[in-house]
Amino acid sequence: MNTPGPFYLGVDLGSTTAKAVVIDGEGAIVSSSTIAMGAVSRAGMHKAVDAALDGAGITNADLSGTVSTGYGRRLVPGAQRTFTEITCHARGTVAMVPGARLVIDIGGQDSKAITVDDEGLVQEFAMNDRCASGTGRFYEVLSQSIDVPLEELGALALQGSNDLEVSTMCATFAETEIVSLLAQDAPIADIASSVHRAIASRTLALVAQVGRHTPVVLTGGVAQNPAAVEFLARALRTEILVPEHPQISGAYGAALLARDADHRGRPVVDDVAGADQLFPRPRPSEPHSCGSCDGTLTGSGTSSTVDLGLPIRLGG
Amino acid sequence: MTATLNTPTTTTDRTNRLKSTRQGGRMVADYWEDLFTARERGKQIVWYNGGALNPIFQAAGLAWCHGEAFAARLAAQGLEGPAQLAGAEHGYNAELCSYSRTHLGCAVLTVQGDEGINTGVVGAHDQAELAARLPAPDFFVNNYAGCSTGQQWDEISYRVFDKEVPIFNISHPFLWGNKPDAGYLTGEEWESASYYVRDQLLALITWLEERTGNPFDWDMLRESMTYIKRAAELRREGLELCKAKPAPATFWDWISAIAPINFLPGNQELVDYFESVRDEIQDRVDKGISGVENEKYRVYFDGIMNWNKLGFLSRKFAEHGVAVLAGRYITNAFWQEPQLIDTDDPLLGMAQHYLLCPTNHGTKTLDYLTLRDCEEYDVDGIVFHSTRTCRAFTGPQRLLARSAQNNLGIPSIFFEGDVADASFYKEEILESRLAAMLEGIDVKRTQAS
Amino acid sequence: MSRGAAALEALRAVARDPRSHIEAWRSAHPEGKVLGVLPMNFPRELAHAAGVMAVIVPDDQQPVTEGRAFLPEFYCGYTRNLADQAATGRFDQYDGLFVADHCIQLLGSADVVRALEPDRRVFLGQLISSLSDSWAGQKTAQMMSLLRTEVESFAGTTIDDDALRASIASFNRDRDLMRQIFDARAGGDVSYSPVDLQDIVASAQIMDPDEHHALLSDVVAERQFLPRDERIRVHLSGHLCHAPRRELLEVIEEVGAVIVDDDLWTGRRYLQAGMDESLAPMDALAKWYAGRNTALPCPTRVQHDVDWDAWLLDAVKRSDAEAVVHLMPKFCEPHMLFYPELRRALDEAGVPQLLIETEHEGIPLESFRTRLEALIERTHRNRPAYA
Repeated sequence: MNTPGPFYLGVDLGSTTAKAVVIDGEGAIVSSSTIAMGAVSRAGMHKAVDAALDGAGITNADLSGTVSTGYGRRLVPGAQRTFTEITCHARGTVAMVPGARLVIDIGGQDSKAITVDDEGLVQEFAMNDRCASGTGRFYEVLSQSIDVPLEELGALALQGSNDLEVSTMCATFAETEIVSLLAQDAPIADIASSVHRAIASRTLALVAQVGRHTPVVLTGGVAQNPAAVEFLARALRTEILVPEHPQISGAYGAALLARDADHRGRPVVDDVAGADQLFPRPRPSEPHSCGSCDGTLTGSGTSSTVDLGLPIRLGG
Repeated sequence: MTATLNTPTTTTDRTNRLKSTRQGGRMVADYWEDLFTARERGKQIVWYNGGALNPIFQAAGLAWCHGEAFAARLAAQGLEGPAQLAGAEHGYNAELCSYSRTHLGCAVLTVQGDEGINTGVVGAHDQAELAARLPAPDFFVNNYAGCSTGQQWDEISYRVFDKEVPIFNISHPFLWGNKPDAGYLTGEEWESASYYVRDQLLALITWLEERTGNPFDWDMLRESMTYIKRAAELRREGLELCKAKPAPATFWDWISAIAPINFLPGNQELVDYFESVRDEIQDRVDKGISGVENEKYRVYFDGIMNWNKLGFLSRKFAEHGVAVLAGRYITNAFWQEPQLIDTDDPLLGMAQHYLLCPTNHGTKTLDYLTLRDCEEYDVDGIVFHSTRTCRAFTGPQRLLARSAQNNLGIPSIFFEGDVADASFYKEEILESRLAAMLEGIDVKRTQAS
Repeated sequence: MSRGAAALEALRAVARDPRSHIEAWRSAHPEGKVLGVLPMNFPRELAHAAGVMAVIVPDDQQPVTEGRAFLPEFYCGYTRNLADQAATGRFDQYDGLFVADHCIQLLGSADVVRALEPDRRVFLGQLISSLSDSWAGQKTAQMMSLLRTEVESFAGTTIDDDALRASIASFNRDRDLMRQIFDARAGGDVSYSPVDLQDIVASAQIMDPDEHHALLSDVVAERQFLPRDERIRVHLSGHLCHAPRRELLEVIEEVGAVIVDDDLWTGRRYLQAGMDESLAPMDALAKWYAGRNTALPCPTRVQHDVDWDAWLLDAVKRSDAEAVVHLMPKFCEPHMLFYPELRRALDEAGVPQLLIETEHEGIPLESFRTRLEALIERTHRNRPAYA
């Protein structure tokens, strides 16, 4: 890796995946990694960071700033600042899809709707409450109940008819209800399709809290499910843009925020006046050994600049 | 999550619904069409909630829209979604009374429609449709007993319309039963509350006269209340006939007959309608025809109607041979004590009916009414519709269930649903609990025989 | 420990363990009666004048167990907690329960108490809630008079007008002192943490006003002006009828906010309005009730020309707050109904805001922290230093 610095690292430690992104001084992604974990784990996070640094051919010492985000943001050693995933998703997504006005992020345990301005700054946001309804967890329940791998759900749902009457208030009841539909011999494609449609209507209710603005971008792991995108597009009556790497938008935003601070000519910790005293600071860096890693590498650290490409346009 | 197959895969429809209630459906449809075009006919329009003030509005020369009824209508037609979305976009929480949030959503759409604002979430077509359908109000009148939310709801409607539409509030003491002499239709508390509300009705009439410029037509009030009283008597006769075994008609039939008694104008047509309902029931009693094929169980229903599920629930219970034949929302609501109405001077009796809202009693009185009805209709069990966003109806339910079990040995089940938000309905819970209750009844019968 | 610190500790102890305080009062007054009253409008002065200890029944923060059998899960946490107190015998410490508010959920819980505690008097003296009506004043006066009669009957004594005047003066003095602290906070003095202030007000809702005032005077005597730091200045709004969890108040300040004012029930809402001591005492009670809603508008009341949203904007200006956090107890219908009005007003004024729904059990602090931090991050952009 011969690209000269500066480099910035963004780390997004979510509930089920750890993501790390290295960008250069222009804000372009140099490398990224996504690690699926069973649960929030330092090991998975270290693995993601290492993969991203390796991919960029740099070490910690080459970084001019690191920002962490996600529910585990305070576990990330070496980060000078944490930002919430709300701020980071907004920043990252608007950089990936300039002009976006509404960011919908559906992660493993929560979902968010964020309205943003031109610069990727948050206007309003809404999150699902602690109920997992409408989140990635819900698709997992569906996947287990009808015994279809998660990654095949979308294709299946697109084949089915979605006119089973389904409502989705409570994830806890999901499994028994689906079993009941199976017992009534409803085709699994129809069940999958109807559940996707119902989840989209939950997302619509979330969007209602912040107002429907266009263009709409969907990020998070669920954005990789074509049926989820399609049904959401129908519910919102607009096309849904999906960045090429929807899972890393938070980490990318974190890296951009590190760069923003640097560009303002001050260390990232001083990004906001008085920030030193005000913000929860990550614990001091602690040594780690990759020998204890339990993370599974799903996205390999890439060794060349990631082409963000044009957002995929689906639905509408 | 709740999932329901649209087409029942089990048995055929075992309900035998009354034919005569269909005429009521047509009358109600005509009423709404009339309301939707009232503005063009030069009518002023009042939005109101709570007790049936329509005879007063009729005599004041106004067209009237009952907020809960409009929300129920949208839900029954599966059209509540856009209004609720507009409500959500405006900031109303999904746990808020779904009548109010559906109706407030319509209010938001109506205001936006008038101002040419496009809401983001609700499709332009739906918005135009809803906004154009429900004419904006010239007045608000709140007549809500038995639930604090009712009064607050209209105050918020008033604010959604930027305080530009005048509002009148009628306050109703909650019939708590503080004194030893307090009871159903009796006691000092009942008397003083009746006159307090009657006095406010007089003030309302003056207020309407001042604002509409129309002199209040007292003769028309007496006339329409005479028809309503007669219709209510016929309705009561029909309800009494349903004590027969097998039950000639069900709770669901009476649900279909709510709209006419709740807000249609008092006239001969209304009387004719309830006469035909009563006659059809009498005919069934004479011929031994039942409202549910092979009635096996008799059940009391406590809760507001789950309007999105009316047909579905009626089939579901019938499938199990269950005749749902009485319920608080039917037996103890809607001009249910017509003997209180003095047609020469109807205001006091009207005020009393507003106070007799089935959520305006302390649990002591509700307990009396519920046990009385369970005995008179000889029911085997109670189904409580734990109406998610209606705290007024659901508050006393657990106490009522205990009392029915302790005093009459009657079992009960609870199922969750809502008045106007289908997403709260949990099919599996109802199915399994109903089956369990019926099995228990079977066991009890076997032991007794 | 200094005298002031000890006094604050004593107030904190009452706020956090009201049961022990009530038991201690009973030991000292073996013939005395303890009356539970439900928030938010019952005039405790009446009970005080009758020699009764009147306690605004607090949410005792115990998990709801047996109470689940009596009220549905979609009742607010406060009312479910009351049902649980009744179901588990924790309500035994009260000799009766008086209610003056008409909230349907409060009535539901009061009815559970009535059913489970048949020997205790559970009285509803419903104050008119539609305050714009021309007859509202007369109706309020009538109800105050009825409440007086009922309290007398409960206490087994008559209430002397002079005693009532003295009680009014006692409560006024205590509220005045608390209001001074809240006004000082709005003016920039953060000597007391939000948890301290909550303990101060929550204990006032339980204690005898003179006793409370004496302790609070000791606390205030040692107050040293503490200016705000650079954190984001936040107004807390809502949380009717009961206290938010202390952990939540702490998290709000941990993430980079300093609370500068509030309209919470265990805050300014309780103490904003005083009684006019120049009036005949019964007139003072009635005027106080009507005036409470103008002093700090409440969504449970209906008064067409009084606006919580306008009050909130003024309060934000007075305290120089930069953001508003709405604390909404889940299922609180008056708050759910009024919230869009607040949101609209703050949006138009460009004040960042965040809605947090609280539940009785379980507090998802991490999720709250994320939302709060996002609010703080966003609000920082409004500061010149950020440009």
